[in-house]
Amino acid sequence: MPVAEDGSVTDALVEIRELHFKRGRNKIFNGISMDIPRGLVTTIMGPSGTGKTTLLKMIGAQLKPEKGTVNFDGQNVHRLGRRHLFDVRKRMGMLFQSGALLTDLSVFDNVAFPLREHTDMPESLIRHLVLLRLHAVGLRGARDLKPAQLSGGMARRVALARALILDPEIIMYDEPFTGQDPISMGVLVELIATINEALNLTSLIVSHDIGEAMSISDYVVIISDGAVVQAGTPEQLQQSSSEWVQQFLNGKADGPVPFQYPAPDYHNDLFSGDDSQEKR
Amino acid sequence: MLDWFQHFGRFWIDLSASFGRAHLFLGRLLLSLPSLLVRFGLVVRQLYASGVLTLSIVLVSGLFVGMVLALQGYNTLVGFGAEESLGVVVALTLVRELGPVVTGLLFAGRAGSAMTAEIGLMKATEQLAGLEMMAVDPFKRIFAPRFLAGFIALPCLAAMFSAVGVIGGYLVGVEVLGVDDGAFWSQMKAAVEFGDDVVNGLIKAVVFGFVVCWIAIFQGSDCIPTSEGVSRATTRTVVYSSLAILGLDFVLTAIMFNV
Amino acid sequence: MFARFTEILVGVFMLLFFAAMFILAMRVSNLSGLTSNQGYEITAAFENIGGLKVRSKVSAGGVGVGRVTGIRYDSEDFEAIVTMKIDEKFDQFPLDTSASIYTAGLLGEQYIGLEPGSDIDFLEDGHEIELTQSAVVLEKLIGQVVFSRSGQQ
Repeated sequence: MPVAEDGSVTDALVEIRELHFKRGRNKIFNGISMDIPRGLVTTIMGPSGTGKTTLLKMIGAQLKPEKGTVNFDGQNVHRLGRRHLFDVRKRMGMLFQSGALLTDLSVFDNVAFPLREHTDMPESLIRHLVLLRLHAVGLRGARDLKPAQLSGGMARRVALARALILDPEIIMYDEPFTGQDPISMGVLVELIATINEALNLTSLIVSHDIGEAMSISDYVVIISDGAVVQAGTPEQLQQSSSEWVQQFLNGKADGPVPFQYPAPDYHNDLFSGDDSQEKR
Repeated sequence: MLDWFQHFGRFWIDLSASFGRAHLFLGRLLLSLPSLLVRFGLVVRQLYASGVLTLSIVLVSGLFVGMVLALQGYNTLVGFGAEESLGVVVALTLVRELGPVVTGLLFAGRAGSAMTAEIGLMKATEQLAGLEMMAVDPFKRIFAPRFLAGFIALPCLAAMFSAVGVIGGYLVGVEVLGVDDGAFWSQMKAAVEFGDDVVNGLIKAVVFGFVVCWIAIFQGSDCIPTSEGVSRATTRTVVYSSLAILGLDFVLTAIMFNV
Repeated sequence: MFARFTEILVGVFMLLFFAAMFILAMRVSNLSGLTSNQGYEITAAFENIGGLKVRSKVSAGGVGVGRVTGIRYDSEDFEAIVTMKIDEKFDQFPLDTSASIYTAGLLGEQYIGLEPGSDIDFLEDGHEIELTQSAVVLEKLIGQVVFSRSGQQ
């Protein structure tokens, strides 16, 4: 197991070091560092707006950090030229929240798309590979549908098949469980776990569905305010002594994270009359 | 007052920033054009979207514009007893000015806005980011084919507009108002130069196609990826393209016909 | 199937474009104007060229034989030098051909009319037409009429 007793990672596929990133005046990352262990299912959790999706985009080098490095299998992805970056990206699969299927292509063509773009395979072989992936996600029968005819869960499964078609080393899931009914949620949880197992992948999930994420993860990183709060196996986190982690994992309304957005004193605020002068 | 200055300053900073982005964008767009040589099928599909789908509105408008030109021209010319020159008036107006300009405006409204909306939605639904992550360059796969197709389609449409307009002028002038058939065509033929008038009109259309597609694709890819952002980008495409067409038309006319 | 349908329609679209270009080239405009780039250049000096412009027509007996390609002012002789290109089909103008500037109709465009002489040698590239007649300037003409009228009275 590449995760040690104390929650540190011994064999990392992705190493993130001292990442700084700002959007406008908002500091998203403030020197964040973490390791994604090879061959395991890792989940990054944290409150909304902490830049979890941004982190995935950094790993895919779609966004550039102000400072810090992201190493994928030893290569700094932000230092690569376009050609090499594209080569690295072929080794990554990414599942967007919406699925990001190309709307003018059928399900079959969507899954076949990366093969047709990057290889000169004969059509018969492409058909074979595509049907294999579609069968794995249970949608072989839906191959002629258009993305608009799919439900959200189905679209994500098609996107998963597409992400798998180039045999990547890592698959990144952006909020895979958000807005899913219990059945499609169950299907996705099952798929992520089995695929990771069967294809010997590294999976990186960004989520705030604690139950699902904890159940399939081997390693969990909790981030907040642009830094890692705690990282470790689900068991290690459950036994965490941090109040913050306990509040987050158990979903309590008030605690170290206050229920109230920072505001002036309630009593004074109510009786101070209008605040049109403070606005502008 | 200071606020006002701040907004004014911000406006110009934003404007010049987006102007700079637009030019960088154009550079990458042009660099990705050669990759289309091996995949011309992509361009054909976009030719359908920007050319064939705009055809009906262009043909109908061309016919009516030609007919109106004939009516108006006749009323003016008959005062000088020069109604035989109707063909010249109709043809020159269409070929030199109205063909490229009106087609350009229609194209911006029909195809340009559709291009912006499509690309904006692709951005909003993460399709562009998805392509990037599949190691596919959206410039080569999405933008360049649309650019080239629009670039080809607009001159074609402008030529059709002018041809149909002349036919419309003929129908009204000769069939309805009774201008002499032979004089209509022969005077037109004597006055309209292929090299000067027709080709210059087409060059205008090529320039308009270039600018409209550039604006449309850039606005689509630069929009804020929400439904409101896409709709505003679409509006901007139509407004900016129309202004660009009218402004450029003046400049081009001054260069081409005033030497 | 959809791809096939698209491609057929794009083909139709391009055919329509060619049809439109054919109409514009053959019916609406005079395509032959473009092909007359082959020819020889001659010059002529005029005292006054009136409203003559580059690309104005050069005709002989009412038939277009060439175009004006350049106009400049010779500040030594105080004359306008007009260069014109004559189509190579019409290569048998005698050396003593004369050139005059006429107006098409009362207010129309101005053009150069060539009137062949009787020399046995022909004009060639670079030759100059010696006999020229300047443009009639309407204001001058009116002035002369008014002057002669007032002289009679």
